[in-house]
Amino acid sequence: MFELIKIKTENLSFSYNGNRILDNVSLEFREKTITAIVGPSGIGKSTFLLTLNRLWETVPQSSMSGRVKIRFDGKMQDIYGNGMSLTGLRRKVGMVFQAPNPLPMSIFKNIAFPLKLAGIKDRRTIDENVERALQQAGLWMEVKDRLNDSGLHLSGGQQQRLCIARALVLQPEVLLLDEPTSSLDDASAAVIEELLVNLKDNCTLIVVSHYFDQVKRIADTVFQFPYNGISQQ
Amino acid sequence: MTRFQEAICEKLLLSAAWTSGSIVVFIFAFMLFLGLPLLSGGHFFSLLTAHWAPQQGSYGILPMMAGSLFLALLGLLFSFPLSLGCACFISVLGPAKLRFLLRKVVELMTGIPTVIYGFVGLFLLVPLVRDIFGRGGLSLLSASLMLALLIAPTMILFFCDSFDRVPRSYLDAVDAMGGSKVQKLLYVMLPNSVHGIAAGITIALGRAVGDTLLALMLAGNAIHIPHSCLDSARTLTSHIGLVFSADFESLEFKAIFACGITLYLFTAVLVLVVRGINHRLRRPL
Ligand SMILES: Nc1ncnc2c1ncn2[C@@H]1O[C@H](COP(=O)(O)OP(=O)(O)O)[C@@H](O)[C@H]1O
Ligand SMILES: [Mg+2]
Repeated sequence: MFELIKIKTENLSFSYNGNRILDNVSLEFREKTITAIVGPSGIGKSTFLLTLNRLWETVPQSSMSGRVKIRFDGKMQDIYGNGMSLTGLRRKVGMVFQAPNPLPMSIFKNIAFPLKLAGIKDRRTIDENVERALQQAGLWMEVKDRLNDSGLHLSGGQQQRLCIARALVLQPEVLLLDEPTSSLDDASAAVIEELLVNLKDNCTLIVVSHYFDQVKRIADTVFQFPYNGISQQ
Repeated sequence: MTRFQEAICEKLLLSAAWTSGSIVVFIFAFMLFLGLPLLSGGHFFSLLTAHWAPQQGSYGILPMMAGSLFLALLGLLFSFPLSLGCACFISVLGPAKLRFLLRKVVELMTGIPTVIYGFVGLFLLVPLVRDIFGRGGLSLLSASLMLALLIAPTMILFFCDSFDRVPRSYLDAVDAMGGSKVQKLLYVMLPNSVHGIAAGITIALGRAVGDTLLALMLAGNAIHIPHSCLDSARTLTSHIGLVFSADFESLEFKAIFACGITLYLFTAVLVLVVRGINHRLRRPL
Protein backbone atom coordinates (compact mmCIF):
# COMPACT_ATOMS: atom_id res chain seq x y z
CA MET A 1 0.00 0.00 0.00
CA PHE A 2 1.33 3.37 -1.00
CA GLU A 3 1.61 5.84 1.82
CA LEU A 4 2.87 9.39 1.82
CA ILE A 5 5.81 10.45 3.90
CA LYS A 6 4.65 12.99 6.47
CA ILE A 7 7.89 13.79 8.28
CA LYS A 8 11.45 13.40 7.14
CA THR A 9 14.67 14.20 8.95
CA GLU A 10 17.89 14.59 7.00
CA ASN A 11 21.27 14.27 8.69
CA LEU A 12 19.85 15.59 11.91
CA SER A 13 22.45 16.15 14.60
CA PHE A 14 21.92 17.72 17.98
CA SER A 15 24.07 18.70 20.91
CA TYR A 16 23.67 20.17 24.38
CA ASN A 17 26.75 22.09 25.53
CA GLY A 18 28.79 20.48 22.78
CA ASN A 19 27.75 16.94 23.80
CA ARG A 20 26.43 15.27 20.71
CA ILE A 21 23.13 13.57 21.51
CA LEU A 22 21.84 12.84 18.01
CA ASP A 23 24.24 12.03 15.20
CA ASN A 24 23.14 12.18 11.59
CA VAL A 25 19.66 10.86 12.08
CA SER A 26 17.79 10.45 8.79
CA LEU A 27 14.35 8.99 9.25
CA GLU A 28 11.00 8.99 7.51
CA PHE A 29 7.60 8.82 9.11
CA ARG A 30 4.57 7.73 7.08
CA GLU A 31 1.38 9.71 7.17
CA LYS A 32 -1.45 8.45 9.41
CA THR A 33 0.58 5.76 11.06
CA ILE A 34 1.95 5.27 14.54
CA THR A 35 5.71 5.21 14.76
CA ALA A 36 7.30 4.19 18.02
CA ILE A 37 10.74 5.29 19.09
CA VAL A 38 12.24 2.99 21.68
CA GLY A 39 15.54 2.84 23.48
CA PRO A 40 17.20 3.20 26.84
CA SER A 41 16.73 6.41 28.77
CA GLY A 42 19.11 9.30 28.22
CA ILE A 43 19.71 8.29 24.62
CA GLY A 44 18.02 11.31 23.01
CA LYS A 45 14.46 10.18 22.31
CA SER A 46 12.85 13.23 23.92
CA THR A 47 15.38 15.49 22.29
CA PHE A 48 14.50 14.02 18.90
CA LEU A 49 10.82 14.88 19.46
CA LEU A 50 11.76 18.43 20.39
CA THR A 51 13.47 18.90 17.05
CA LEU A 52 10.15 18.17 15.31
CA ASN A 53 8.30 21.09 16.90
CA ARG A 54 11.32 23.31 17.58
CA LEU A 55 10.67 23.24 21.30
CA TRP A 56 14.41 22.85 22.01
CA GLU A 57 15.10 26.37 20.78
CA THR A 58 14.71 27.95 24.22
CA VAL A 59 17.26 25.59 25.79
CA PRO A 60 20.46 27.56 26.26
CA GLN A 61 23.66 26.20 24.70
CA SER A 62 21.89 23.75 22.43
CA SER A 63 22.46 23.45 18.72
CA MET A 64 21.07 21.52 15.83
CA SER A 65 22.16 20.81 12.29
CA GLY A 66 20.46 19.02 9.45
CA ARG A 67 16.92 19.36 8.22
CA VAL A 68 13.43 18.49 9.32
CA LYS A 69 10.72 18.49 6.70
CA ILE A 70 7.02 18.01 7.27
CA ARG A 71 4.35 17.71 4.61
CA PHE A 72 1.91 20.58 5.06
CA ASP A 73 -0.67 21.53 2.43
CA GLY A 74 0.56 18.81 0.12
CA LYS A 75 4.24 19.65 0.00
CA MET A 76 7.29 18.95 2.09
CA GLN A 77 8.36 22.06 3.97
CA ASP A 78 11.48 22.76 5.97
CA ILE A 79 10.18 23.59 9.44
CA TYR A 80 13.30 25.62 10.16
CA GLY A 81 12.89 27.54 6.92
CA ASN A 82 12.17 31.23 6.72
CA GLY A 83 8.56 30.89 5.64
CA MET A 84 7.61 28.75 8.64
CA SER A 85 5.82 30.44 11.52
CA LEU A 86 6.63 28.95 14.89
CA THR A 87 3.10 29.38 16.19
CA GLY A 88 1.65 27.85 13.04
CA LEU A 89 4.02 24.90 13.27
CA ARG A 90 3.17 24.17 16.87
CA ARG A 91 -0.53 24.31 16.19
CA LYS A 92 -0.10 21.65 13.52
CA VAL A 93 2.37 19.56 15.53
CA GLY A 94 0.88 18.85 18.94
CA MET A 95 2.83 17.48 21.86
CA VAL A 96 2.01 15.41 24.93
CA PHE A 97 4.62 15.31 27.68
CA GLN A 98 5.86 12.48 29.82
CA ALA A 99 4.26 13.80 33.00
CA PRO A 100 0.68 15.04 32.57
CA ASN A 101 0.80 18.84 32.71
CA PRO A 102 -2.71 20.25 32.91
CA LEU A 103 -2.81 23.96 33.66
CA PRO A 104 -4.28 25.13 36.99
CA MET A 105 -7.72 25.88 35.58
CA SER A 106 -10.97 24.07 34.90
CA ILE A 107 -11.17 21.03 32.64
CA PHE A 108 -13.07 23.05 30.06
CA LYS A 109 -10.62 25.93 30.12
CA ASN A 110 -7.68 23.56 29.80
CA ILE A 111 -9.05 22.17 26.56
CA ALA A 112 -10.21 25.55 25.31
CA PHE A 113 -6.83 27.12 26.08
CA PRO A 114 -5.16 26.44 22.71
CA LEU A 115 -8.24 27.92 21.01
CA LYS A 116 -7.90 31.01 23.16
CA LEU A 117 -4.23 31.28 22.19
CA ALA A 118 -5.22 30.93 18.55
CA GLY A 119 -7.60 33.86 18.99
CA ILE A 120 -10.81 31.88 18.48
CA LYS A 121 -13.61 33.64 20.34
CA ASP A 122 -16.80 32.18 18.95
CA ARG A 123 -18.53 30.41 21.83
CA ARG A 124 -20.12 27.69 19.69
CA THR A 125 -16.91 26.83 17.88
CA ILE A 126 -15.16 26.56 21.21
CA ASP A 127 -17.83 24.35 22.77
CA GLU A 128 -17.93 22.05 19.75
CA ASN A 129 -14.18 21.70 19.54
CA VAL A 130 -13.80 21.06 23.26
CA GLU A 131 -16.41 18.33 23.14
CA ARG A 132 -14.90 16.73 20.04
CA ALA A 133 -11.41 16.72 21.55
CA LEU A 134 -12.67 15.19 24.78
CA GLN A 135 -14.53 12.53 22.80
CA GLN A 136 -11.41 11.72 20.82
CA ALA A 137 -9.40 11.42 24.00
CA GLY A 138 -12.03 9.12 25.50
CA LEU A 139 -12.65 11.47 28.38
CA TRP A 140 -15.99 13.01 27.50
CA MET A 141 -18.22 10.52 29.31
CA GLU A 142 -16.14 10.82 32.47
CA VAL A 143 -16.02 14.60 32.71
CA LYS A 144 -18.99 15.99 30.82
CA ASP A 145 -20.84 16.75 34.07
CA ARG A 146 -17.94 18.47 35.74
CA LEU A 147 -16.27 20.53 33.08
CA ASN A 148 -15.84 23.38 35.56
CA ASP A 149 -13.86 21.33 38.07
CA SER A 150 -10.13 21.93 38.21
CA GLY A 151 -8.09 19.84 35.80
CA LEU A 152 -5.65 19.19 38.61
CA HIS A 153 -8.23 17.15 40.52
CA LEU A 154 -8.40 14.40 37.90
CA SER A 155 -6.56 11.10 38.30
CA GLY A 156 -3.17 10.70 36.60
CA GLY A 157 -4.60 8.75 33.67
CA GLN A 158 -7.42 11.25 33.22
CA GLN A 159 -4.96 14.14 33.39
CA GLN A 160 -2.91 12.58 30.62
CA ARG A 161 -6.01 12.12 28.47
CA LEU A 162 -6.89 15.72 29.25
CA CYS A 163 -3.50 16.72 27.87
CA ILE A 164 -4.10 14.57 24.79
CA ALA A 165 -7.46 16.26 24.31
CA ARG A 166 -5.78 19.64 24.68
CA ALA A 167 -3.24 18.69 22.04
CA LEU A 168 -6.04 17.49 19.74
CA VAL A 169 -8.36 20.46 20.03
CA LEU A 170 -6.61 22.37 17.24
CA GLN A 171 -6.82 19.26 15.04
CA PRO A 172 -3.07 18.88 14.58
CA GLU A 173 -1.66 16.90 11.68
CA VAL A 174 1.11 15.42 13.80
CA LEU A 175 1.00 14.36 17.43
CA LEU A 176 4.20 13.79 19.38
CA LEU A 177 3.91 11.80 22.59
CA ASP A 178 6.87 11.50 24.94
CA GLU A 179 6.46 8.37 27.08
CA PRO A 180 2.81 9.28 27.63
CA THR A 181 2.05 6.30 29.84
CA SER A 182 5.23 5.99 31.87
CA SER A 183 3.79 7.72 34.93
CA LEU A 184 0.54 5.73 34.86
CA ASP A 185 -0.70 2.38 36.12
CA ASP A 186 -1.18 -0.46 33.61
CA ALA A 187 -4.92 -0.01 33.28
CA SER A 188 -4.70 3.73 32.52
CA ALA A 189 -1.82 3.03 30.15
CA ALA A 190 -3.87 0.46 28.25
CA VAL A 191 -6.73 2.94 27.84
CA ILE A 192 -4.37 5.50 26.34
CA GLU A 193 -2.66 3.03 24.00
CA GLU A 194 -6.02 2.02 22.67
CA LEU A 195 -7.13 5.56 22.01
CA LEU A 196 -3.90 6.30 20.15
CA VAL A 197 -4.79 3.62 17.61
CA ASN A 198 -8.08 5.40 16.97
CA LEU A 199 -6.33 8.70 16.37
CA LYS A 200 -4.41 7.31 13.39
CA ASP A 201 -7.27 8.17 11.05
CA ASN A 202 -6.70 11.88 11.54
CA CYS A 203 -3.07 12.34 12.33
CA THR A 204 0.45 11.05 12.24
CA LEU A 205 1.62 9.86 15.62
CA ILE A 206 5.11 9.46 17.01
CA VAL A 207 5.25 7.77 20.40
CA VAL A 208 8.41 7.57 22.44
CA SER A 209 8.58 4.64 24.75
CA HIS A 210 11.04 3.09 27.03
CA TYR A 211 9.54 -0.40 26.73
CA PHE A 212 9.56 -2.26 23.50
CA ASP A 213 6.60 -4.60 24.30
CA GLN A 214 4.36 -1.76 25.22
CA VAL A 215 4.45 -0.14 21.81
CA LYS A 216 4.85 -3.27 19.69
CA ARG A 217 1.10 -3.83 19.79
CA ILE A 218 0.11 -0.38 18.58
CA ALA A 219 3.00 0.77 16.40
CA ASP A 220 3.15 0.41 12.64
CA THR A 221 6.87 1.12 12.63
CA VAL A 222 9.43 0.97 15.41
CA PHE A 223 12.71 2.84 15.42
CA GLN A 224 15.32 1.74 17.87
CA PHE A 225 17.55 4.40 19.41
CA PRO A 226 20.50 4.88 19.55
CA TYR A 227 19.93 5.26 15.88
CA ASN A 228 22.74 3.96 13.71
CA GLY A 229 21.23 4.19 10.29
CA ILE A 230 19.96 0.61 10.02
CA SER A 231 17.82 -0.33 13.00
CA GLN A 232 14.31 -0.35 11.78
CA GLN A 233 11.43 -2.73 11.81
CA MET B 1 29.43 15.99 64.16
CA THR B 2 29.07 14.58 67.62
CA ARG B 3 25.89 14.66 69.65
CA PHE B 4 27.47 17.14 71.99
CA GLN B 5 28.51 19.57 69.27
CA GLU B 6 25.11 19.33 67.75
CA ALA B 7 23.46 20.18 71.06
CA ILE B 8 25.77 23.19 71.50
CA CYS B 9 24.96 24.44 68.00
CA GLU B 10 21.29 24.07 68.63
CA LYS B 11 21.54 26.01 71.90
CA LEU B 12 23.56 28.76 70.26
CA LEU B 13 21.11 29.19 67.43
CA LEU B 14 18.19 29.06 69.80
CA SER B 15 19.65 31.77 71.98
CA ALA B 16 20.33 33.92 68.90
CA ALA B 17 16.71 33.53 67.89
CA TRP B 18 15.52 34.36 71.39
CA THR B 19 17.80 37.41 71.59
CA SER B 20 16.61 38.95 68.35
CA GLY B 21 13.02 38.10 69.19
CA SER B 22 13.19 39.64 72.64
CA ILE B 23 14.96 42.77 71.36
CA VAL B 24 11.96 43.43 69.14
CA VAL B 25 9.61 43.04 72.08
CA PHE B 26 11.90 45.09 74.27
CA ILE B 27 11.95 48.00 71.84
CA PHE B 28 8.19 48.01 71.75
CA ALA B 29 8.01 47.97 75.54
CA PHE B 30 10.54 50.79 75.69
CA MET B 31 8.50 52.94 73.35
CA LEU B 32 5.33 52.24 75.26
CA PHE B 33 7.05 53.17 78.49
CA LEU B 34 8.41 56.46 77.21
CA GLY B 35 5.18 57.30 75.47
CA LEU B 36 3.31 56.60 78.70
CA PRO B 37 2.75 60.24 79.74
CA LEU B 38 0.76 60.67 76.57
CA LEU B 39 -0.92 57.32 76.72
CA SER B 40 -1.92 57.39 80.38
CA GLY B 41 -3.68 60.69 79.89
CA GLY B 42 -6.11 58.55 77.92
CA HIS B 43 -5.55 60.63 74.83
CA PHE B 44 -3.48 58.31 72.69
CA PHE B 45 -6.34 58.11 70.23
CA SER B 46 -6.99 61.83 70.27
CA LEU B 47 -3.27 62.09 69.57
CA LEU B 48 -3.76 60.12 66.41
CA THR B 49 -6.51 62.40 65.19
CA ALA B 50 -5.35 65.81 66.45
CA HIS B 51 -3.09 68.36 64.82
CA TRP B 52 0.39 69.34 65.82
CA ALA B 53 0.32 72.68 67.64
CA PRO B 54 2.84 72.63 70.51
CA GLN B 55 2.02 76.25 71.46
CA GLN B 56 -1.52 75.18 72.26
CA GLY B 57 -0.33 72.00 73.94
CA SER B 58 -1.60 69.84 71.12
CA TYR B 59 0.76 67.14 70.00
CA GLY B 60 -1.41 65.29 67.49
CA ILE B 61 0.45 63.37 64.83
CA LEU B 62 -2.32 63.24 62.25
CA PRO B 63 -0.45 65.36 59.67
CA MET B 64 2.55 63.05 59.92
CA MET B 65 0.41 59.96 59.57
CA ALA B 66 -1.20 61.46 56.51
CA GLY B 67 2.22 62.43 55.15
CA SER B 68 3.60 58.91 55.63
CA LEU B 69 0.58 57.27 54.09
CA PHE B 70 0.31 59.60 51.09
CA LEU B 71 4.01 59.43 50.37
CA ALA B 72 4.15 55.65 50.61
CA LEU B 73 1.06 55.11 48.50
CA LEU B 74 2.15 57.62 45.89
CA GLY B 75 5.59 56.00 45.73
CA LEU B 76 3.94 52.62 45.32
CA LEU B 77 1.64 53.97 42.63
CA PHE B 78 4.62 55.15 40.57
CA SER B 79 6.74 52.15 41.35
CA PHE B 80 4.33 49.28 40.84
CA PRO B 81 3.72 49.55 37.09
CA LEU B 82 7.39 50.26 36.49
CA SER B 83 8.44 47.27 38.57
CA LEU B 84 5.91 44.89 37.07
CA GLY B 85 6.92 45.92 33.57
CA CYS B 86 10.59 45.49 34.42
CA ALA B 87 9.98 42.09 35.98
CA CYS B 88 8.03 40.92 32.92
CA PHE B 89 10.84 42.09 30.67
CA ILE B 90 13.51 40.42 32.78
CA SER B 91 11.62 37.16 33.23
CA VAL B 92 10.07 36.65 29.83
CA LEU B 93 9.93 39.32 27.22
CA GLY B 94 13.47 40.57 26.75
CA PRO B 95 16.27 39.04 24.69
CA ALA B 96 18.24 36.52 26.78
CA LYS B 97 21.46 38.51 27.20
CA LEU B 98 19.72 41.77 28.07
CA ARG B 99 17.51 40.01 30.59
CA PHE B 100 20.52 38.61 32.38
CA LEU B 101 22.29 41.97 32.38
CA LEU B 102 19.22 43.85 33.58
CA ARG B 103 18.68 41.44 36.42
CA LYS B 104 22.24 41.99 37.61
CA VAL B 105 21.73 45.75 37.42
CA VAL B 106 18.56 45.50 39.50
CA GLU B 107 20.34 43.33 42.06
CA LEU B 108 23.06 45.93 42.24
CA MET B 109 20.49 48.70 42.69
CA THR B 110 19.24 47.15 45.93
CA GLY B 111 22.65 47.93 47.40
CA ILE B 112 22.76 51.64 46.59
CA PRO B 113 22.62 53.69 49.81
CA THR B 114 19.44 55.72 50.19
CA VAL B 115 21.39 58.92 50.60
CA ILE B 116 22.55 58.66 46.99
CA TYR B 117 18.93 58.66 45.85
CA GLY B 118 18.40 61.62 48.16
CA PHE B 119 21.22 63.58 46.56
CA VAL B 120 20.19 62.77 43.02
CA GLY B 121 16.66 63.80 43.94
CA LEU B 122 17.79 67.04 45.49
CA PHE B 123 20.03 68.15 42.65
CA LEU B 124 18.19 66.77 39.63
CA LEU B 125 14.57 66.07 40.43
CA VAL B 126 13.68 68.93 42.77
CA PRO B 127 14.73 71.70 40.32
CA LEU B 128 12.99 69.85 37.50
CA VAL B 129 9.72 69.57 39.39
CA ARG B 130 9.98 73.24 40.32
CA ASP B 131 10.58 74.19 36.68
CA ILE B 132 7.70 72.17 35.36
CA PHE B 133 5.06 73.07 37.93
CA GLY B 134 6.31 76.44 39.05
CA ARG B 135 6.27 75.27 42.65
CA GLY B 136 6.57 72.16 44.74
CA GLY B 137 10.26 71.45 44.44
CA LEU B 138 10.40 69.96 47.89
CA SER B 139 7.14 68.09 47.82
CA LEU B 140 5.33 64.79 48.00
CA LEU B 141 5.84 64.46 44.26
CA SER B 142 9.63 64.75 44.33
CA ALA B 143 9.94 62.51 47.36
CA SER B 144 7.57 59.88 46.02
CA LEU B 145 9.29 59.71 42.64
CA MET B 146 12.62 59.00 44.27
CA LEU B 147 10.94 56.65 46.69
CA ALA B 148 9.48 54.80 43.72
CA LEU B 149 13.00 54.30 42.41
CA LEU B 150 14.20 53.17 45.82
CA ILE B 151 11.57 50.49 46.31
CA ALA B 152 11.48 49.32 42.68
CA PRO B 153 14.40 46.84 42.87
CA THR B 154 12.86 45.07 45.84
CA MET B 155 9.59 44.70 44.01
CA ILE B 156 11.22 43.70 40.72
CA LEU B 157 13.24 40.92 42.35
CA PHE B 158 10.21 39.74 44.27
CA PHE B 159 8.11 39.63 41.11
CA CYS B 160 10.86 37.88 39.16
CA ASP B 161 11.14 35.27 41.89
CA SER B 162 7.44 34.60 41.80
CA PHE B 163 7.55 34.29 38.00
CA ASP B 164 10.42 31.84 38.34
CA ARG B 165 8.33 29.77 40.70
CA VAL B 166 5.68 29.12 38.07
CA PRO B 167 6.14 25.41 37.29
CA ARG B 168 8.23 24.65 34.22
CA SER B 169 5.56 22.20 33.06
CA TYR B 170 3.00 25.01 32.65
CA LEU B 171 5.38 26.99 30.50
CA ASP B 172 6.26 23.96 28.37
CA ALA B 173 2.57 23.35 27.88
CA VAL B 174 1.99 26.87 26.57
CA ASP B 175 5.07 26.74 24.34
CA ALA B 176 3.97 23.44 22.87
CA MET B 177 0.53 24.90 22.06
CA GLY B 178 2.08 27.69 20.08
CA GLY B 179 1.52 30.43 22.66
CA SER B 180 3.49 33.65 22.31
CA LYS B 181 5.63 35.10 25.10
CA VAL B 182 3.00 37.71 25.87
CA GLN B 183 0.25 35.12 26.03
CA LYS B 184 2.38 32.97 28.28
CA LEU B 185 2.87 35.94 30.56
CA LEU B 186 -0.74 37.11 30.60
CA TYR B 187 -2.56 33.81 30.78
CA VAL B 188 -0.23 31.66 32.85
CA MET B 189 2.55 33.50 34.64
CA LEU B 190 0.67 36.49 36.02
CA PRO B 191 -2.38 34.56 37.27
CA ASN B 192 -0.05 32.08 38.98
CA SER B 193 2.05 34.76 40.63
CA VAL B 194 -0.71 36.78 42.26
CA HIS B 195 0.38 35.84 45.78
CA GLY B 196 4.01 36.61 45.07
CA ILE B 197 3.08 39.95 43.56
CA ALA B 198 0.95 40.79 46.59
CA ALA B 199 3.81 39.86 48.91
CA GLY B 200 6.20 42.05 46.89
CA ILE B 201 3.84 45.02 47.10
CA THR B 202 3.45 44.59 50.85
CA ILE B 203 7.19 44.42 51.44
CA ALA B 204 7.72 47.48 49.25
CA LEU B 205 5.00 49.35 51.14
CA GLY B 206 6.77 48.52 54.38
CA ARG B 207 10.01 49.88 52.97
CA ALA B 208 8.26 52.99 51.71
CA VAL B 209 6.64 53.73 55.06
CA GLY B 210 9.82 53.03 56.95
CA ASP B 211 12.12 55.12 54.77
CA THR B 212 13.26 58.28 56.49
CA LEU B 213 15.99 59.87 54.50
CA LEU B 214 14.19 60.55 51.23
CA ALA B 215 11.20 62.05 53.01
CA LEU B 216 13.49 64.15 55.15
CA MET B 217 15.56 65.40 52.21
CA LEU B 218 12.88 65.81 49.57
CA ALA B 219 9.39 66.16 51.04
CA GLY B 220 9.85 69.59 52.61
CA ASN B 221 8.78 68.58 56.13
CA ALA B 222 5.98 71.15 56.58
CA ILE B 223 3.56 70.06 59.28
CA HIS B 224 0.13 70.00 57.69
CA ILE B 225 -2.06 67.52 55.93
CA PRO B 226 -1.04 67.70 52.26
CA HIS B 227 -3.79 68.43 49.77
CA SER B 228 -1.88 67.97 46.55
CA CYS B 229 1.16 66.14 45.27
CA LEU B 230 2.99 69.46 45.08
CA ASP B 231 2.45 70.17 48.77
CA SER B 232 5.23 69.77 51.23
CA ALA B 233 4.69 67.06 53.82
CA ARG B 234 6.26 65.50 56.88
CA THR B 235 6.27 61.79 57.56
CA LEU B 236 6.23 59.97 60.89
CA THR B 237 9.83 58.93 60.30
CA SER B 238 11.12 62.40 59.47
CA HIS B 239 9.18 63.78 62.42
CA ILE B 240 11.03 61.44 64.73
CA GLY B 241 14.28 62.54 63.14
CA LEU B 242 13.50 66.24 63.32
CA VAL B 243 12.22 66.45 66.89
CA PHE B 244 15.02 64.35 68.23
CA SER B 245 17.30 67.21 69.16
CA ALA B 246 14.66 68.94 71.27
CA ASP B 247 14.29 68.89 75.05
CA PHE B 248 14.05 65.33 76.42
CA GLU B 249 11.50 66.17 79.10
CA SER B 250 9.02 68.02 76.98
CA LEU B 251 5.74 66.52 75.93
CA GLU B 252 6.71 67.45 72.40
CA PHE B 253 9.60 65.03 72.56
CA LYS B 254 7.46 62.36 74.09
CA ALA B 255 4.90 62.62 71.32
CA ILE B 256 7.43 61.14 68.95
CA PHE B 257 7.01 57.87 70.80
CA ALA B 258 3.45 57.90 69.60
CA CYS B 259 4.92 58.13 66.08
CA GLY B 260 7.18 55.21 66.87
CA ILE B 261 4.36 53.09 68.19
CA THR B 262 2.21 53.88 65.17
CA LEU B 263 5.03 52.94 62.79
CA TYR B 264 5.73 49.82 64.78
CA LEU B 265 2.13 48.67 64.67
CA PHE B 266 1.81 49.47 60.99
CA THR B 267 4.91 47.45 60.16
CA ALA B 268 3.69 44.58 62.32
CA VAL B 269 0.44 44.53 60.39
CA LEU B 270 2.34 44.43 57.09
CA VAL B 271 4.49 41.56 58.32
CA LEU B 272 1.36 39.65 59.27
CA VAL B 273 -0.09 40.30 55.84
CA VAL B 274 3.05 38.92 54.18
CA ARG B 275 2.91 35.93 56.50
CA GLY B 276 -0.67 35.31 55.48
CA ILE B 277 0.24 35.55 51.81
CA ASN B 278 3.19 33.19 52.20
CA HIS B 279 1.00 30.77 54.06
CA ARG B 280 -1.40 30.69 51.14
CA LEU B 281 1.52 30.43 48.74
CA ARG B 282 2.60 27.18 50.29
CA ARG B 283 -0.86 25.70 50.22
CA PRO B 284 -1.29 23.36 47.24
CA LEU B 285 -3.61 24.65 44.57
N1 LIG C 1 18.14 20.79 28.67
C1 LIG C 1 19.21 19.98 28.63
N2 LIG C 1 20.45 20.47 28.81
C2 LIG C 1 21.53 19.67 28.79
N3 LIG C 1 21.49 18.36 28.57
C3 LIG C 1 20.28 17.78 28.37
C4 LIG C 1 19.09 18.57 28.38
N4 LIG C 1 18.05 17.75 28.16
C5 LIG C 1 18.57 16.51 28.00
N5 LIG C 1 19.91 16.52 28.12
C6 LIG C 1 20.80 15.36 27.98
O1 LIG C 1 20.65 14.82 26.71
C7 LIG C 1 20.62 13.40 26.75
C8 LIG C 1 19.37 12.90 26.06
O2 LIG C 1 18.24 13.28 26.80
P1 LIG C 1 16.77 12.88 26.40
O3 LIG C 1 16.54 13.30 25.00
O4 LIG C 1 15.86 13.42 27.43
O5 LIG C 1 16.84 11.29 26.47
P2 LIG C 1 15.66 10.25 26.55
O6 LIG C 1 14.38 10.95 26.27
O7 LIG C 1 16.02 9.22 25.52
O8 LIG C 1 15.69 9.65 27.90
C9 LIG C 1 20.69 13.01 28.19
O9 LIG C 1 22.01 12.59 28.45
C10 LIG C 1 20.39 14.26 28.95
O10 LIG C 1 21.15 14.31 30.12
MG1 LIG D 1 12.81 11.31 27.65
